[in-house]
Amino acid sequence: MTPALRAMLVIPEAAIVLALPPLLLSVIARTKAWFAGRVGPPWLQPYYDLLKLVRKGVVHSRTTTWVFRMGPIVNLAAMLTALTLIPVLTSTSLLGFSGDLILVAYLFALGRMLTVLAAMDTGSSFEGMGAAREVTFATMAEPALFLSLAALAISTRTLRLDQMIDGSLALAWASIGPALLLVVGALVVVLLTECSRIPVDDPATHLELTMIHEVMVLDHSGPEFALITYGAALKFMLLGSILLHTAFPHIDLLDGWPVIFIVPLRIGALLALAAFVGTIESTMARLRLSRVPLLQAAATVLAGLAVLLVLLRRTT
Amino acid sequence: MILLSAVAVLLAGAVLSLALARRPRASLALSSLAVLVGSSLAVAAAAQALGGVSAPAWSVQWALPLGTASLSMDGLSAWFVLTIGVVSAAVAIYCPRYMAAEIAHGSPHVFGAMLCVLVATMLLLVCANDAVLFLLAWELMSLAAFFLVIYEHRRPEVRRGAWMYLVATHLGTALFVLPLFGLLVARTGGSLSFASFASAAASADPHWLTLVFFLGLVGFGTKAGFMPMHVWLPSAHPAAPTPVSALLSGVVIKTGIYGILRLLTWLPPLPSGCGMALLLAGAVSGVMGVLYALAQHDLKRLLAYHSVENIGIIALGIGIGMLGQRAGHPALSAIGYAGALLHVLNHAVFKGLLFLSAGAVIQATGTGHIDRLGGLARRTPINALLFLIAAVSICGLPPFNGFISEWLIYGALFRGAFALSGHGAAAAVVALTSLAVMGGLALACFAKVFGVVFLGESRDSSLSARATPAAMAIGMGILATLCILLGIVPAVPLSLSGPGASVLVPGGPADLDMALRAVLAPAGSLTLMAALLIIISLALWLILRLLPATRNQVLASAPAPATWGCGYPFPTPRMQYTSSSFAWSLVSAFRGFLWPRRHLHAPVGPFPAPASLATHTDDAAEVDLFGPLFRATSRLAGMIRNLSWSGQPVVQGASPDVDQPAGPALTTFRRAVRAIRRGSIQICLTYIVLCLLIVFVIEAIAEPGGPENPPPLGPASAPATMPSTADGGAQP
Repeated sequence: MTPALRAMLVIPEAAIVLALPPLLLSVIARTKAWFAGRVGPPWLQPYYDLLKLVRKGVVHSRTTTWVFRMGPIVNLAAMLTALTLIPVLTSTSLLGFSGDLILVAYLFALGRMLTVLAAMDTGSSFEGMGAAREVTFATMAEPALFLSLAALAISTRTLRLDQMIDGSLALAWASIGPALLLVVGALVVVLLTECSRIPVDDPATHLELTMIHEVMVLDHSGPEFALITYGAALKFMLLGSILLHTAFPHIDLLDGWPVIFIVPLRIGALLALAAFVGTIESTMARLRLSRVPLLQAAATVLAGLAVLLVLLRRTT
Repeated sequence: MILLSAVAVLLAGAVLSLALARRPRASLALSSLAVLVGSSLAVAAAAQALGGVSAPAWSVQWALPLGTASLSMDGLSAWFVLTIGVVSAAVAIYCPRYMAAEIAHGSPHVFGAMLCVLVATMLLLVCANDAVLFLLAWELMSLAAFFLVIYEHRRPEVRRGAWMYLVATHLGTALFVLPLFGLLVARTGGSLSFASFASAAASADPHWLTLVFFLGLVGFGTKAGFMPMHVWLPSAHPAAPTPVSALLSGVVIKTGIYGILRLLTWLPPLPSGCGMALLLAGAVSGVMGVLYALAQHDLKRLLAYHSVENIGIIALGIGIGMLGQRAGHPALSAIGYAGALLHVLNHAVFKGLLFLSAGAVIQATGTGHIDRLGGLARRTPINALLFLIAAVSICGLPPFNGFISEWLIYGALFRGAFALSGHGAAAAVVALTSLAVMGGLALACFAKVFGVVFLGESRDSSLSARATPAAMAIGMGILATLCILLGIVPAVPLSLSGPGASVLVPGGPADLDMALRAVLAPAGSLTLMAALLIIISLALWLILRLLPATRNQVLASAPAPATWGCGYPFPTPRMQYTSSSFAWSLVSAFRGFLWPRRHLHAPVGPFPAPASLATHTDDAAEVDLFGPLFRATSRLAGMIRNLSWSGQPVVQGASPDVDQPAGPALTTFRRAVRAIRRGSIQICLTYIVLCLLIVFVIEAIAEPGGPENPPPLGPASAPATMPSTADGGAQP
């Protein structure tokens, strides 16, 4: 892809990428409805919801301070900044540099910190409970994420995220495929944890005591809640992109194919991932909260084994 | 020269502050002014040295009775001088207004004088080029810190904390640092200058090198706060007044790190076992430190454990640097050392800010117990903002400064996993995982602290909260501004840490140049990312403000409601999550490491009854290792006390020389022992003076012709002694 073509395609690509996340939520909802024998909400329902929220007024409790108002803003800003570092529809990111994989992980952590602080700001025990659970499970998932990134980095010998998960990984699949399969498994668990999906959290429950992410944002309303919903969808798309590029880097080897073919292929892959997550949500129950750390420990073990295999492979 | 003037100003300030004993406020103001001027001069000297060429800036020599006192400032010393100067300056601005409320609790003039002495001795310590000056400054620094910690000496927990600090630092110095210097001086054949240490150790065998390294690790590590020698930190930091806690945590424990780094400049590349031991020590200190911090209920004790964690992070950087040096990868070790040095400065800045802010909270409300606080963001908004900046920095989140140094250390660890082979790569991956776990736990801990202390409603309505005084806010504001600037423009601190890293990685200039450029390369991208984050946040905020719905007049004029509690009509602030409940799921997940204890008095029967639940976590090193060790030692000493010298047990209190004839020497000795047991200060002082006199007499007799005390050797005569020591070392 020539640089001129790349520069010209930035605006349409940005438009598609920014418009895509709510469609992924809709696919998950439709998949769950199909499993339940229902028709489900319209395909564009999340967009209607966001529009409705933006038109509403916002209500702030008298306990909250500027931290509460800042939480959704910084969360979405962190996700948008991470978007410039993660390749979604193409094989290169917009502003990648060596070492940016750590920045991506810590931008997610920044979003989480501000959401948790906004939750504590309400002074309600429900939000405090959600915040406590969120930080616990996110901490347990960190080693799995970093070990997966380490396995990918060591097998491709680069510290740039988009170079780590592009065509050179396809060669690694040929030689250390089993290790990368373990990495994909660990990344699936990380995706489910960070995006608050079953089996870690139930996004469709109405009982506050069973919520994690939903109860943290219970007090947000109006445009701020729209920012949060969109930010969560964007996070799903970003982590899903990393997962898809890791699992199917061979798409990057199709460099000669025209853009008009690659982009729908990638969008289709993202929609298929959303359907996959919807399937998991429909066929499993949420784990007991005391068992969730075991799931993440399993993911850490998988990723650790992957790193071990990669290191062993490198020396032989 | 500027550094000497800084030291002179500080010492003058100490003397004048003591002279103003009758006027405590004036004494505090004068000593703070001296510290401010002295630290500013020190920062200027460091900036001059770091901005100049890589050669040592200057050296001053004058003769002391034992060895010469030579000072020099290379890149490493200049970096630590910069750290000391920056934090001391901010603390000096904060100090007078804070201590004005504490004047009645201790002796302010001694406090002011010891503050000046502490900063002066630290500056001398990091610039010392001679073993005697180093040890002198080390001891004076420890003593000055002790007198500062014991400011509120009327409280028993303060006395206990200061005593633990004194015992720990002296055990570390006597048992490890002194033998370390003894080994080094024996190797150089009597020379005490640091330059001769480097040349003498170049040809040493690996066992000697490993021994020397471990003596340094444990000895300097006691001051730095590695586990398990960290036990004095959680007792001394809360006991000390806030400016002293900030200095202790910010710069005094960094002198331990300086000792380890200076030791590394003298030794050739060490066996990889040493690097991996340091990585292990860093990982254990980091993860266990932050776990203990999660389990604490006292604000300052929690921050003290976080210092242990960050020292662990610095050790990870140094460890990977050592492994890179051993494997011959200058780029890897440069990045590792640069990350460690940068974290030294960053941690000093944001930990200083955290302690100063916590001190403001404690002074405003009267308590440091987290579970009684709450809602302070509405009553002390400036303090809340400053604490938030420091909390985001310590969690290593972009765009503040903590992220930059953690990013560098991550980069070094990843590159170590690429470049090292076998055990080295595995160690790097384990260190990487531990750093990730530390990051997650630190985020949980500071979400807990900030959320419980500043957000929500106050859990104890009897506590008042006065606004933060302007002087304290200005001192804290300087550190907060540095947190933001060092994070947004990382090119500046990265380039300044270059000279320090090049001292630690002596390689060819081309190698090092390439290595340092590799460190600096992504600095522009980091600035771009930080700017992008801030611009997007501002844009979103502006969009929210401009939306028609949020400009709805009706909603704006309605009174703000209480937080929705799902229909429960009688919410109280006590229903909020406390710090223990917030941390409980993590603490119980790690209960195999922490052994928390729950004290539950559950209500009995169908009706509401009094109930309580408390959780408590003891420090394992304190109750399992050092507690039994010291108790056994004192029991042993007590047993020895109760035995007479013939081995028969003696009744307590009976005089031992009633039935046994004793000559004059034995009688004098027994009298001395009895006087020491009785605690008579005059007798003890007399015996100390006598012993010193005897030592000086022996010195004076031995000097002129004694072979065991040759005159101090310069570097020219070092090669003459080396062959003999090499021969001696070659024998098994």
